[in-house]
Amino acid sequence: MIAPVQTMIGTMILLPVLYVFWLSLTVSSFGQAPVFVGFDNYVRVLSDPYFWRALRNTMIIVLVVVHAELLLGLGVALLFASGIPARPIMLAAVLAPYAVSEISAVVMWRYMFDLDIGYATQVLNFFGLPTLEWAINPVHGLMLVAILSIWLNLPFTFVILYAARLAIPKDLYEAAEVDGASPWQQFRKVTLPLLLPAMLIAMLFRYIFAFRLFSEVWLLTGGGPARQTEVLAVYLYREAFRYNAFGTAAATGWLLVIASLVLALWYLRKLYKEMFATNA
Amino acid sequence: MPKILGKGLKGFAIFAVLGWSLAPIVLILISSFKPDRDIFAAPPRLLFEPTFDHYVALWTRWGDFFAGLVNSLIITTGATILAVVTSAMAGYAYSRYRHTVMSSSAFFLIFIRLIPPIVITLPLFPVVNILRINDTHILMIVLYATFFVSLGTLIMRTFIDQIPKELDEAAHIDGASHWQILRRIILPLSAQGMIAVSVFVIVFAWNEFLFAFIFTTTRAKTAPLVLSEMFGAVEGVEWGVLFAASTLQLLPVLIFVVLAQKHLVAGLTAGATKG
Repeated sequence: MIAPVQTMIGTMILLPVLYVFWLSLTVSSFGQAPVFVGFDNYVRVLSDPYFWRALRNTMIIVLVVVHAELLLGLGVALLFASGIPARPIMLAAVLAPYAVSEISAVVMWRYMFDLDIGYATQVLNFFGLPTLEWAINPVHGLMLVAILSIWLNLPFTFVILYAARLAIPKDLYEAAEVDGASPWQQFRKVTLPLLLPAMLIAMLFRYIFAFRLFSEVWLLTGGGPARQTEVLAVYLYREAFRYNAFGTAAATGWLLVIASLVLALWYLRKLYKEMFATNA
Repeated sequence: MPKILGKGLKGFAIFAVLGWSLAPIVLILISSFKPDRDIFAAPPRLLFEPTFDHYVALWTRWGDFFAGLVNSLIITTGATILAVVTSAMAGYAYSRYRHTVMSSSAFFLIFIRLIPPIVITLPLFPVVNILRINDTHILMIVLYATFFVSLGTLIMRTFIDQIPKELDEAAHIDGASHWQILRRIILPLSAQGMIAVSVFVIVFAWNEFLFAFIFTTTRAKTAPLVLSEMFGAVEGVEWGVLFAASTLQLLPVLIFVVLAQKHLVAGLTAGATKG
């Protein structure tokens, strides 16, 4: 019964990943037999300034996007939990971006932040704020990518936190109320500790998924200007499909896999320890 | 006084949340019916004569896009059926039979979700070309389904865990095989779970960009990919056509997500907390 699932995963994911490891130890290109070169590709990737820039960009985006999402998701979840009018409609509205494809989202945000005539640009100008020059200024480009990713993925973080918040029994708040706890104390002593596991899970998943960010960057800036807004997945794509350097691309791929695993391990262990600490 | 202030703040927060989530979507939906001169009118013009010009232009000049919609429909349907059927089978097995081999292969399912899809494209690309299955519907169906069977299995297991074991035991005593138990008892009772799994696969397969970008070129090109090509080609010139195409690509799945929101929430919580 599990055979179909394991076969699909085995042939489409596991075998390719192992093959990528072999590729990463060779030099190869289209129509060329791979030649074994040991860890040369890793050395080459790790000494490529473009790789380090892509890594830095990825880290910045992941940290900004995931933590902003957690804060916003927590805020919206608590807003919903405090009782709001027309809840089903509001829920549908908050979930709506989940249905939007990356390309449609890029069309929307690119239009709103159009340098000459976009509405968001006009609003920024109206308040005397500087224009987001995302096509020229790499920092601004990354900012727009971050805004877009937050917009697309907030529904996920929100749902996890909201479900966890609903699972907190009402009596706890009633008891806190009786003991004279202020709303802030209720948040600090009841809501936050009980939401922590869900927040860690949301964070872990979003770290891993934000780390593979490709489409938003590729469609919005293409990694430009001058490769300054590249993230790791875009770097990998360019190595493989533009420069036909499958060896270095594969090495980048394995670095991505290892980084994802390390991220996950660290958090899973942390999660484990925390659960153990509260049980003891 | 603080109470009124609190109410006001809350109203503002609700308004901000609505604006943040919906403004970009509403903007392109409405703008797709605006005549060219009104698309960039400042302040935004709320009263305008709706026009289908952009949709007509899309139909006459970007026939590719409609072919893309058809491809997306075929691939999404195929991937959903494949993923739901295989996930239900595996979910049943994981829910009912627990020993070390099974739990380590369940752990493998979680582990596999950590692998970034772009890494897979590297070795698959040449293999797919050699097998001559690049740019086919079947390849995209299998790819999309594979990337969701791990989550799908975990969701199905959570749902099947809630079906009392006594039911299958009773059927087993009556001489039912595993397949009969799965078909007659488990599947009907875990319909909720299957819907939850299909919500994810549908949204993912309908919107996916990376695999379509790398593995399709003409015959199996999906709607998001055609849309991205239009975006590259008509940039800064014909926003109207772009909005019309975005609207057509977005609207079906948006309506679907709104209707299926309950299942989406159930699936997300089952998949994330258990996985």
